[in-house]
Amino acid sequence: MKGLLSRLSFETKLNLGITAIIATMALALLPFVASITKDALLEEHRKRGVDTAVALAARAVDPLLALDFLRLQELVAEPQDVTYIFVQDRAGRVLAHSFGPDFPVDLAAANHATPQKPIHIQLIDNGMERIDDIAALIRVHDEPIGTVRLGLSRRTASEILDHLVATLMIIFLTGLTLASAAGTLFARTITSRLDRLQSRAEALRQRHLSEPSPAHPKPPGHGDEISALEHAFSAMAHELDHRMNELLQTQRRLEEQTRLLSTVLDANPDRICLRDTRMIYHAANEAFCQAVGVAKKDIPGCTDFDLFAEDEAERRHLEGRDVLTSGQRMERQEQETTSQDARWFHVIQIPVRGSQGRILGLLRMERDITAMKDYERQLIQSQKIESLGKLAGGVAHEINTPLGIILGTTQLLLDDVPADSSIAEDLRTIERHTKACRKIVADLLEFSHASTSEKVEMCFNNSVMEAISLVRHTFSLDQVTIATDLDDSFPIIYGDPEELKQVWVNLLTNARDALPKGGIIAVRTTLLRAESCVRLEVADTGIGIDAASLSKVFDPFFTTKPVGQGTGLGLSVSYSIIEKHRGHIQVHSPVPETFAWPVPVDGPHRGPGTLFTVTIPLDHASLEDDHGPYPRP
Amino acid sequence: MRSLLRLAVLLVVCLSGIGCSEGEDARFVDWNKRAPMALPRQEPAITYAYLPQYTHAVSFERHRRILEYLRQATGLPFRQVFPSTFAEHMAMVERGDIDISFTNPFVYVLLHHRAGAQVFARAVEEEGGADFQGQIIVRADNAAVTTLDDCRGKTWIAVEPTSAGGYLFPLALFHEHGITLDQFARVEFARGVGGKQEQVVLAVLSGAYDIGTIRKGTLNIVARRYDTSAIRVLAETPPYPGWLFCARKDLAPEVVDQVARALVALRLPDDADILTPAGLTAIIPATHADYRPIEKLMHTLGMETLP
Repeated sequence: MKGLLSRLSFETKLNLGITAIIATMALALLPFVASITKDALLEEHRKRGVDTAVALAARAVDPLLALDFLRLQELVAEPQDVTYIFVQDRAGRVLAHSFGPDFPVDLAAANHATPQKPIHIQLIDNGMERIDDIAALIRVHDEPIGTVRLGLSRRTASEILDHLVATLMIIFLTGLTLASAAGTLFARTITSRLDRLQSRAEALRQRHLSEPSPAHPKPPGHGDEISALEHAFSAMAHELDHRMNELLQTQRRLEEQTRLLSTVLDANPDRICLRDTRMIYHAANEAFCQAVGVAKKDIPGCTDFDLFAEDEAERRHLEGRDVLTSGQRMERQEQETTSQDARWFHVIQIPVRGSQGRILGLLRMERDITAMKDYERQLIQSQKIESLGKLAGGVAHEINTPLGIILGTTQLLLDDVPADSSIAEDLRTIERHTKACRKIVADLLEFSHASTSEKVEMCFNNSVMEAISLVRHTFSLDQVTIATDLDDSFPIIYGDPEELKQVWVNLLTNARDALPKGGIIAVRTTLLRAESCVRLEVADTGIGIDAASLSKVFDPFFTTKPVGQGTGLGLSVSYSIIEKHRGHIQVHSPVPETFAWPVPVDGPHRGPGTLFTVTIPLDHASLEDDHGPYPRP
Repeated sequence: MRSLLRLAVLLVVCLSGIGCSEGEDARFVDWNKRAPMALPRQEPAITYAYLPQYTHAVSFERHRRILEYLRQATGLPFRQVFPSTFAEHMAMVERGDIDISFTNPFVYVLLHHRAGAQVFARAVEEEGGADFQGQIIVRADNAAVTTLDDCRGKTWIAVEPTSAGGYLFPLALFHEHGITLDQFARVEFARGVGGKQEQVVLAVLSGAYDIGTIRKGTLNIVARRYDTSAIRVLAETPPYPGWLFCARKDLAPEVVDQVARALVALRLPDDADILTPAGLTAIIPATHADYRPIEKLMHTLGMETLP
C-alpha cells in the first residue's frame, strides 16, 4: 500500500487526499446531519401537529359545548395539511371527522390524552404509511370535555429528509468535483513548477545549467514556498555550478599533478611504494613493479606476502610495522643478493601523516646504490694511491740523489776499467740496475705528481698512433698484431701529449705482456658526441685477469708479472694521468661479448682477454672545472 | 478518477438508508376496518343555559360546578346547553329546549312576557349584592355640572347600549328628569373589548367627556389603580334587581322547586367552590314581583321590543 502510494503522482495523491477528506466529512457528517435534521424535522413536524391540535382543541370548545356538529365538522374539514382530524367527546365518541363517510373504527381508541398528559403522541402504522397521531385534550380550564385527534403523515417528513439528504449529497459531490478540479489545477500548478525544478535539476546533473540558471538569482519577491524553493534552487544551482567549475578545475589540476607525480615517480629509478596502516599496498612506481614483477594496476590491494618470498615479506612487514608503531623515519642500507649479482640499496621508510598528524600509511623508497658503493670503493682506492704516491714521491726524491751518485760513480769506474773485464761487466750490471732503479724512481715521482705536465690541444688519434707506431715493430717480434679502428673524425682533446702517450704505451705494453704466445691487440678510438668525450678501447686476446685481481690492477706495485719484469706502477701511473685529465679508466676481463673486434680474433692461443677503456672529455673548459660532466672516480 | 467514482457510489449507498430508518414502535391500525360514525344520541336531561353574555367556555366554566351540585342535590340529570346569541337563547326557551335559564333582568322580563318564564331565584353578586345601581359621574372640579339638569347639552360617555347599570338605568333616570337623548351634545359608548366600565371612568377623568355613566362599584375597582378622588358622583339610580334563575313555562313545578331549594341552600364559605366561579355570593328566592321596576324601566325607555 505504501509502495503503491509512493508510486502515485502528486496530483493523484492530492486529489485522493481531497476526496478522502470530503468523503470522510460526508460520511461522518451526513448521518449526523441527517439524524439531527430528522429529529428536528420530526420535532417540528410534531410541534406543528401539536400546535394545530391545541389550536383546534381551543376552537372546538364552543362548538363541542354547544354540540354544534356542523361547526365541528367545518372545523375538522378545514384544510390543515394533515392526514386526518377528528373530534371525540369526553366519552371518546367521534363527533366529527375528516375521513369522509366511513371512519377507521380502531383509530378512535388508538391514542388517548389525559388530564395528566393533555397532549399525547402515538405513532400509527396503517400498513401504508406511518402517522404521528396527536391527541389534544379539549378543556375548559381544567375540565376535559373532549379530545381533538390529528394525524400527521411522516411521509412528508421523510420526503423532506430524503430531499435534504439528496441535496446534501449533491452538494458534497459538487464540492468533491469542484475541490478535485481545484486540487488538480493546484496540483498542476505545483507539479509544473516541480517539473521545472526537476528538469533544472536534471540539467544540473547533465551540466546544462547555463540556460535556466540565471547569472545572479533574483531575490525572492512575493510568492509561496515553492517560489522560495525555486529561488533557493536557482541560487543553489548557481552556486553549485560555480563550485562544480571550481571542482572540475581542481580535478583537472589534481589529475595533472597526479599524472605528473606518477610520471616523476615512474621516471624515478628508485623503487617507491605506498602502504596503508594495514600494510596493504596502495600504489607503487614503475621501478618497484618491475622489481617485483607485478603489473602496476595489480599492486593496489597486495600485501608483502603477495609480492615477495616469505622470509623477505616477513622482514619487510615487520620493518614496516616498526616504523608505523614508532612513527620515526627509518633509513638503512641493505644488500640484495640474487643469483646473478648482489646489489646495494639505500632504503628509506617514512610514515605518511594526515592533516591531523595521524599516521595514514607508510612510504618506502629503495635507491640502488650499487654504483655509488663502487665509486666509494674507488674513492678509497684513490685516496690510498694518493697516500702511497706521496710516500713514494718522498722516498724517490731521497733515493734519486744516491742513485745518481751510484750511477755516476759506476760510469766513472767503467771508464777506468777495461771494457771486457769482469769488473766492467759487473759495473755495467750495476749501471743497468741503477738505471732500472732510476726508472722506478722516475715513475714514482710521476705517480706522485712530482713531475709537471703541459696541456695543449692535441689530436687524440695522432697521440694513439704515435704510441702504436712506437711499439708496433717490437710487438710484431713477439707475434703480437695491433689492429686499429680509429674514429675518422679526428677528435681534438686538451691534454698533455707526452703523459697520454705514456698511458697508451703502458696499456699496449700490458696487453703485450698478456700475450706471451702472441695474439691480437685491438685499439679503437670513438668520438662520443652526445657525451662530448672521446673513448679509447684497448683489447687483447690474452690470458685475461682473474676476478680477484681485477679490482687491484690499478693499485701501485700490484703486478702479476715475475719479479724484475714489472714495477707494478704502470697502471697506477696511467690511472693517475687519466685522472688528471678528468677522465676515467676501466678494466673488463674477459672482454665483453659486445666488443666488436676490428679483425677476426679466433686464433689458436686466444684467451679471455682484457679490455681497458679510457674516456677523456673533449670540453676544454670542463677540464678546468671541478664540476664537469664526468664525476671523478 | 475511478477511485472518485467508487467513493461516490459508496457514499450514495451509505447514505441512501439514512432517511428511512425508524426506531420507534408504531401502533398498527387497520385502515380498512371502517364504519360510518353516528352522532351520539343525547340522553334526556334538564337543560340549563347561561345567557350567552360570554363565550361558551366561560359560561361552561362559571356554571359547571353549579350543575354538578344540582345533579348531586336533586338527583336529576342536568345538561348545560350553549345558545350562541340572546335571540337563540330566548328562542330555545320558547321552544322548550332550555328548561332553566340564568339570565339578566331585561331578557327575563321579555321571556316572561313572551314565553311565560318564571323567576324562582335571584343571584346575589360580589359587586352590588342582589340589586345593582347605576352612577352618573363627573370630574370633581367640573363646576358646570352640579345637578342632573346641568347634563343637558353635555357630552356623555356610557358603557354600552345594553349595559344595565352603565347606560339603561341612568338613561331611565334622565328620562324621569325629562332629559332625553337628543338633549345631549353627544352620547358615545366605550370602545374596545373588556374593561369598558374602567374606560368610562378614565374618559371622564381625562376630561374628554363631561359626564359618564357606570355601574355602582366600578369606582372601587378603578381606585385600586387610579386616583379617583377627582371623580364626583353626580347621581345614583334607584337599585334594580340583578341576574336571576327562571324556569320555562311548562317545567314541572316540583323540579323547579327542587332546583330552587337546592340553589337557595348554597352558602359561603362552605360552597365557595360552587358560588365563587360563577361570581355569586349567594342565591336568594325571588318572584316576578321583584322585577316590576325593570318592567317599568323598560316601559319608560320603550324597550318592549328589545330582543
